[in-house]
Amino acid sequence: MIQDYLVLSIVLFCLGMLGVITRRNVFTVFMSVELMLNAANLAFIAFSRLHQTMDGHVLAMLVMAVAAAEAALALAVVILLHKHKSRLDTNVFSLLKG
Amino acid sequence: MITELLFNGFAILAVLGAVGLVLFRHPMNGAMSLVVTMVSLAGLYALLSAKLIFALQLIVYAGAIMSLILFIIMFLNLQEKDLPEESGRWYYLLGGVVVIAPIALFLVKIVKTLPGSEATIVGGGFGGIKEVGLVLFQDWLLPFEIVSILLLIALVGAVVLAGKRRLGK
Repeated sequence: MIQDYLVLSIVLFCLGMLGVITRRNVFTVFMSVELMLNAANLAFIAFSRLHQTMDGHVLAMLVMAVAAAEAALALAVVILLHKHKSRLDTNVFSLLKG
Repeated sequence: MITELLFNGFAILAVLGAVGLVLFRHPMNGAMSLVVTMVSLAGLYALLSAKLIFALQLIVYAGAIMSLILFIIMFLNLQEKDLPEESGRWYYLLGGVVVIAPIALFLVKIVKTLPGSEATIVGGGFGGIKEVGLVLFQDWLLPFEIVSILLLIALVGAVVLAGKRRLGK
């Protein structure tokens, strides 16, 4: 029972990682990161159900708070990037290459 | 019986939403399929009898964060020509699958060795607001405070980054 949830969590995490490393749209990359956070949350809740403690739920709440902070900051950065280059391609934002 | 049926339905919906997020070209379609994934994950949390996290997932994730992302996508008013080319997308996806599949299979193999595959019954108070709150404010007080400071700093940073620059220019 718990193993099914963990396998689903692994599948979702790997799909998110696939989105991060293969897509070039800034929004899709960002939402894939959110998907990875959600997969980690599912693993936390499943382990919490397995051990019948509340610590996993608390960790999931903290992950949600971190995801909210990340969303606010990342979307501000995306707006700035779009203002500067008016593109959403991650290959355009390569200023650190020198 | 009905639990397995619900689990299978929610799991299939979640995986389909994630696949849609990775494959759709326009970020608006991707965001919509991510909403499907979030809502089915909320259903899975309810199946795991995590009542508070179920509500939080619906309100915070599927509600607040996704509407923020959708708002920004609509705010930027993306046309078809604004999107990246991504002509070799399928090759990249194939390469990514080749890289990630061994990691996923390895993790699945680890998970299969875990004990506790049988379903147990938890008490009525499991996952309620009171129980989670007791653990949160007794054992996890310092991480809670650190996260609140992180949220404050993120708010200030977002205002500084995206706000108007009257003084700078």
